[in-house]
Amino acid sequence: MASLSSDEWRAICDKFTNAQNLTEVESRNDPENDPFRSKYKARELLREIYCSLKSFEVSEGEEDGGGESGDPRPSEQPVDGQREDGFGQGFSGDSPAGLRAAKLGAVEYYLGVNHVDTEELSAGQEHLMNCMKLLGRCSVSSENVSLFIHVRNQLGILWAGRDETETAQGFLETAESIYQHYMKEDGSPPTDMTEYFTTEEKLLTHQERTKRFELAYTHTMYYLAQVYKNLGQTERAATYCHSTLQRQLQLNQFNPMEWALNAATLSQYYITKGRYMEGRHCLSAATVISGLAGEVPSEAAAQESETENERREQLRQKRAEIARCWIKYCLNLLQDAKKLLEDNIGELDTDRQDELKRARRGEEEEEEKGRKSALLFGSEDTFDSIASLEEKVRCLFPLDFTEARAVFLVGQNYVTQAKEYFQMDGYVTDHIEILQDHSALFRALAFFEEDLERRCKMHKRRVDMLEPICTDLNAQYYLMIRRQLMFELAETYSEMMDLKLTLANRQADTQSLDSHTIKKFNHLCSASAKYFQMFLDSLCSPEGKVPEHLEEEVLRPALVARFRVARLHSRLISSSPSVQLDNLNRSLENYKYVVQYCETHPEAATTVETELELSKEMVGLLPLKINRLKARMAANN
Amino acid sequence: MAGASVKVAVRVRPFNSREIGKESKCIIQMSGNTTTILNPKQPKENKSFNFDFSYWSHTTPEDINYASQMQVYKDIGEEMLLHAFEGYNVCIFAYGQTGAGKSYTMMGRQEKDQQGIIPLLCEDLFTKINDSNNDNSMSYSVEVSYMEIYCERVRDLLNPKNKGNLRVREHPLMGPYVEDLSKLAVTSYNDIQDLMDSGNKARTVAATNMNETSSRSHAVFNIIFTQKKHDMETENTSEKVLTKGVGGGDGVFEGANINKSLTTLGKVISALAELNKKKKKVESFIPYRDSVLTWLLRENLGGNSRTAMVAALSPADINYDETLSTLRYADRAKQIRCNAVINEDPNNRLVRELKEEVARLKDLLYAQGLGDIIESECHRGKHNSHSQKMHIYRLTQETEKIIAELNETWEEKLRRTEAIRMEREALLAEMGVAMREDGGTVGVFSPKKTPHLVNLNEDPLMSECLLYYIKDGITKVGRENAKTRQDIVLSGHFIKDEHCTFSSTTGPQGEGCVILEPCEGAETYVNGKRVTSPIVLRSGNRIIMGKSHVFRFNDPEQARLERERTPCAETPVEPVDWAFAQRELLEKQGIDMKQEMEQRLQELEDQYRKEREEASNLLEQQRLVRENFIQTSPLINSPVPWTKRETELALWAFRKWRFYQFTSLRDLLWGNAIFLKEANAISVELKKKVT
Repeated sequence: MASLSSDEWRAICDKFTNAQNLTEVESRNDPENDPFRSKYKARELLREIYCSLKSFEVSEGEEDGGGESGDPRPSEQPVDGQREDGFGQGFSGDSPAGLRAAKLGAVEYYLGVNHVDTEELSAGQEHLMNCMKLLGRCSVSSENVSLFIHVRNQLGILWAGRDETETAQGFLETAESIYQHYMKEDGSPPTDMTEYFTTEEKLLTHQERTKRFELAYTHTMYYLAQVYKNLGQTERAATYCHSTLQRQLQLNQFNPMEWALNAATLSQYYITKGRYMEGRHCLSAATVISGLAGEVPSEAAAQESETENERREQLRQKRAEIARCWIKYCLNLLQDAKKLLEDNIGELDTDRQDELKRARRGEEEEEEKGRKSALLFGSEDTFDSIASLEEKVRCLFPLDFTEARAVFLVGQNYVTQAKEYFQMDGYVTDHIEILQDHSALFRALAFFEEDLERRCKMHKRRVDMLEPICTDLNAQYYLMIRRQLMFELAETYSEMMDLKLTLANRQADTQSLDSHTIKKFNHLCSASAKYFQMFLDSLCSPEGKVPEHLEEEVLRPALVARFRVARLHSRLISSSPSVQLDNLNRSLENYKYVVQYCETHPEAATTVETELELSKEMVGLLPLKINRLKARMAANN
Repeated sequence: MAGASVKVAVRVRPFNSREIGKESKCIIQMSGNTTTILNPKQPKENKSFNFDFSYWSHTTPEDINYASQMQVYKDIGEEMLLHAFEGYNVCIFAYGQTGAGKSYTMMGRQEKDQQGIIPLLCEDLFTKINDSNNDNSMSYSVEVSYMEIYCERVRDLLNPKNKGNLRVREHPLMGPYVEDLSKLAVTSYNDIQDLMDSGNKARTVAATNMNETSSRSHAVFNIIFTQKKHDMETENTSEKVLTKGVGGGDGVFEGANINKSLTTLGKVISALAELNKKKKKVESFIPYRDSVLTWLLRENLGGNSRTAMVAALSPADINYDETLSTLRYADRAKQIRCNAVINEDPNNRLVRELKEEVARLKDLLYAQGLGDIIESECHRGKHNSHSQKMHIYRLTQETEKIIAELNETWEEKLRRTEAIRMEREALLAEMGVAMREDGGTVGVFSPKKTPHLVNLNEDPLMSECLLYYIKDGITKVGRENAKTRQDIVLSGHFIKDEHCTFSSTTGPQGEGCVILEPCEGAETYVNGKRVTSPIVLRSGNRIIMGKSHVFRFNDPEQARLERERTPCAETPVEPVDWAFAQRELLEKQGIDMKQEMEQRLQELEDQYRKEREEASNLLEQQRLVRENFIQTSPLINSPVPWTKRETELALWAFRKWRFYQFTSLRDLLWGNAIFLKEANAISVELKKKVT
C-alpha cells in the first residue's frame, strides 16, 4: 500500500474495526422500530473504505475494469458449478494486484452481507457477485482462500432463500472443492479477511487463523447438509451433518451437551436406516461427550440456588434423553433381527438361523472396520472411552438367545436410567413411553427364548408393568396412550393364551385338558377380549354411541380388534351349552360388524383384506355351528 | 369421531395506520372458503388455500362480504361451547404475526358489536348455566386461570404471590398441568372480566419493567367448566382459550431457507430423523422437546378435544412473507391429528388357525351329520370371571396437593379467590396503581376529577390498563428500594431510585396545576423532549420515564375547562397512543442520533420547498387542484391560506412523513420526490384542462 500514507491506512483500519463492531455488537441493541440502525452505519463506513481503496487505485494509475458498486452488470456473472475454482489462473493471490483485488473483494463481501442482513437481497447479491468477479481474476492462495469460501457460503444462503436450491448447491460445492484443493496443495494457515484491514501489530496467530478458516468450512458443510435435505437427498444430508459434528469435535468448537444431543439424534436416523454400526458410534460418542458437561449438581445444591437447580434439571434431562436413544437402538436391533429370523407365523426359523450364523463368521467385523474409519468421532482424549463404550453392545444382529439377551440387558439398563429422570409423577407420557419400550424389549427377547414356560413369564412381566397404568390413568387426558396400552395388553394376553395351550398340549398326551389349565386358558382368553373391547369402547362418543365412521388412524386397529374379539369368544371353553351359545353369538356379531362396515365403507376393505375374507367365511359358517348347538340343546331338553 | 381434525379459520383485518402510511396494497383475496394471497413481487404467483372459514373483515360492515365479530362467534364460538357442554375439551386459539388482529378476534373491544369470541362465549356460558339451574340434578362450576408463556417460562397472571417460573408437569390422574398455577372460582361473566383485566395488568407491569415486547409472549386463558350430575359421577370439562398464538414460528421447516447458525444443527438433524421415522414407521426417539405452548396444546389435539384456530392476517403487501407463513401454518393445522399410532402385532398365527377352522367348518358343511368335530376343542371346565386388582399410586407430595385441591369446597374456593384478589390489589395499590371507588384496581374506569397518568403500551391489550393518581401535593416516582417511600413504584434498568416528582396545586377557580420535576440524571421525556427542569403539564402530554415506561398525563378538570372554552376544537386527527409517543420521541431525539440523515433530509426539504413553491404557484387559483396537492405532498407554511383543519392535517401528515424517513431507506425519500413531481404534473395537466 505504498501510496497510502500510514495515517490514511490507519484511518481505514479504524473504520473497518468500527464497522465490524457496529455489525456484530451494536446491532444487537438496535430498537425495534429501527432495527438496522447500526448496520446502516456500518454500511456507510464500508462504503467510505471502498472509496478510499478505489481512489488509491486510480492514483496508482492502474486501470480497473470492474468492481464499482452501483454499476449493474447482470450479463456476465460468473456462475459457480462451472468449475472456475481459481487454481492456476489470473494473478497470483500474493501479488500486489492480487492483494488489491482481495481487499476490494472483501469490502464488497462485507457490503453484500450487510445488504442481505438488512433484507436488501438483490443489492446484496450484486456486491457478493462483485466480490466473485474480483476473485475470479486471482488464483487461490493462502491470502485469499478464506474469502473464496466465505463469499460462496453467503451466496449459497442467498440462493437457497429464493428457492433456487440448485444454484445454492453450485456455490457451496465449489467452496467445498476449493477447500479440499487448498488443503491438499498448500494447507498453511490462511489469512483471515479481517486481517486485510489490520495494522501489522494486530495480525492473528496461526492458530487463530486456522480456527477461523476451519469454522468457515464447517459452515459450508452445514449449509450443504441443508441443501441436500431440501433436495430430498436425505442420505447425503445425514453424511454432511455427520461431518459437521465431526469437525466441531476436532476443532473443539462445541457445547458438550448440545453436541451430545445432536449426535444422539443422528443415531436415530442411522437406526431407522438399519445402520447400527453408525448408530452405535453416535450414541457412544454422545454418552462420552455429555460427560464433559460435568457432574450433575446435588439435590442439596439445587435447593440452594436457582441456577444450580436449572443446571441439574438440564443435565439430568438430557442424559435421560440420550439413554432413551440407546433404548431405541437396542430395541430396533432386536426387532430387526427378529424380522430376519421369523417364519411366516412369527416363530424362529432355525434353518434361517443356521444360514445366517454361517454367513456371519468374521467377515462382517472386517467390513465394519473399513466403513468406520471415515466416520470416527473423537479427539485424542475421548477416542478410547468412545471405543470402549462401543464394545459394551454389539452392532450385528443377534442370532440366538444369548446374543439377544446381551442386547436386551443393555437396553434394560438404559430403561432404568431413563426412568430415574422421567418419573411417573410429573412426566406421565415420557414415563409410559419408556415402559412401552421396556415391554417391547421383552417381547423381542421372548421371540428368541425357546423355553415356553419362560417365554410366558416374559409376557407376564409386560402385563404386570402395563396393566396398572392402563387402569389408573385418567381416561380423558390420556386417551391415546390408554388405547395403545389396551391394544398391547389384549395382544399380550392372547399371546400368553396361545403359549399356555401349546404347553398343555405338549404335556398332556391325552386330548383333554385338566380343569386348572382350562381355567387358566379361559382367564387369559377373556382378559384379552376385555382389553380389545375396552379399546373399541374408547372409540365411542361420550354418550357411548358406536361411531359410524372410523377415523383413518384407528380404522385398521378397530376392525382388527373386532375380528379378534370374535375369534376369542369362539375359543372360550365352557361345558354349558347356553354359555357356549352366548359366546358363539357374540363371535358372530363381531364378524358381522367387520363385514358390514366394509360393505358400507368400501375404502376400508383394502386395509383389512385377510381379516375381511375370513370374517365373510365365518359369517357364513358360524350359523351352522350355532344351529347344531341349538339342535343339540333342544334334543337334550 | 376420535382424532377429528382442527377447525381452521382465517381472518383479514383492515389496513392499520402504518400500512396506510406506506400506501400498502391489499394482497389477500377471499372467495367462499378459499383465501388467495398475491405475491407483490411476482403478481402472477398466487397461492390459494382452503379453510373451514375465510373471513373478510378488511372492509366495513357496509360491505356485504364483511365478516363481523358476531359472525365469527356464531361459526366458531357457539359450536365450541356446545362441545364443552357435551363433555369435550375445547380449545380456541389465535395465531398470526404481531398486530395481525389476534386480540381483536379473541377479545375485541368494549363497544357494542365489537366484543370478541371470549366475552361472547363467557356470556353465553353463564346464560346457559343460569337457564338450566332449575334442573336440580345438575350443578355447574366455573374456574379460571390465566398464564403467560414468555421465553419458555410460565408466569401466573392471577396470583401475585406466584413469582417466577412455574413448571409444566403431567399427573396420572390430573393430566397435564402447570404446577402451582392458581385456579380462581367465578360466578359470573363480570368476575371473568375482572380477572382477565387484572391479569392483563399483571402482564403489563411485568412486560414494562423488563422492557419486553409482547410479540414473543403468549397469553393462555383457561376456563375450567365442571358439570356435576348429582346421581352420577363427575364430568370434567376444561376449556382453554388462547389469546395469542405462536409468534414467529420455528422457521426450520419452512421452505428452502438455510439456517445460518450452527446452533440450529439439532433441528436439521431432528428433521432428517423425523423424515425417516414417518417413512418407515420405525420406532425412534427424537430428543427434541416441544415448546411449552405446543406441549400445552398437545392435549387439545387428542381425541377428546375440539380445537378451533383463527389465523389472523394482515392484508398489506409489506407483510407478504409473514402472512404467507401464517397461511402455511394454518394449512398444516388442518392436518393436525393425534399421532398416537397403534402398533399392532402381526397376527399371522391367528389367521392360520382361523383358516384351519374355516376349512374344518366347511368340511362339516359338506358332510352334515358326521361326528361331533366341533366339540374337539371344548372340554369340561368352568367359565371363571376374575376380579380386577386395584392399584393405588403412592401418594407423593404432588398428589396430596392435588387431592387437597379436589377436596376444597366451592365456598372455600370462592374464599380463596377473594383472598388472592385482595393480595393482588394490595400489591398494585402499593405500586401506586389507582383504585376504583369500591377499592378495586381492576376494570376500565377513568377518574372524573383527579389528574392521573395512564400507561401506554405497544400491545393495545396492555395499553391504558394501569392508572396512577397524582394526588394534591407531592407524588414521588421511583424504585421500590429507594430511601424514602415512593408513591408510584416502577422498575427497570433506566429508572432511578428517585426518578421524578409531580406536584399538584389547585388555583382559586379550582383550576389544577401539575408540575413535573425530574430528579438529577433521571431520563424523563415530555412530548418526546428530554426535561431537566420543572415543567408544567397539560392534559394529554406524553411522558416517558427511563426507556420503557410510557404514560399519558390526563387532567380531567383541565380538559373539561378547555372543551368549554373552545367547544368545537376537535381532538387530534391521530390517537395519542404508544406509537404516537414513540414516534414523537424518535422524531425529537432521533435527530441527534442521525445528524447526517437530518442534513440530507434538510437538503431534500429545501429541494421540495423550491419545487413546491413552483407547484403552488400553479395551484394558487384552483381549489380542486390544491386539494389534490395536499394529499400527495404534505407541506407546511404554504403560501395559500389554509383553514385550521387543513393546517392540522398537513402538520400531522408531515410528522408522519418525517418519521418514516428515519425508519425507512433513502430510496423512499426519492420515492416521495416522485410523488411531488407527479403532483406537479397533475396540476399542470389540470390547469390545462380548466383554462
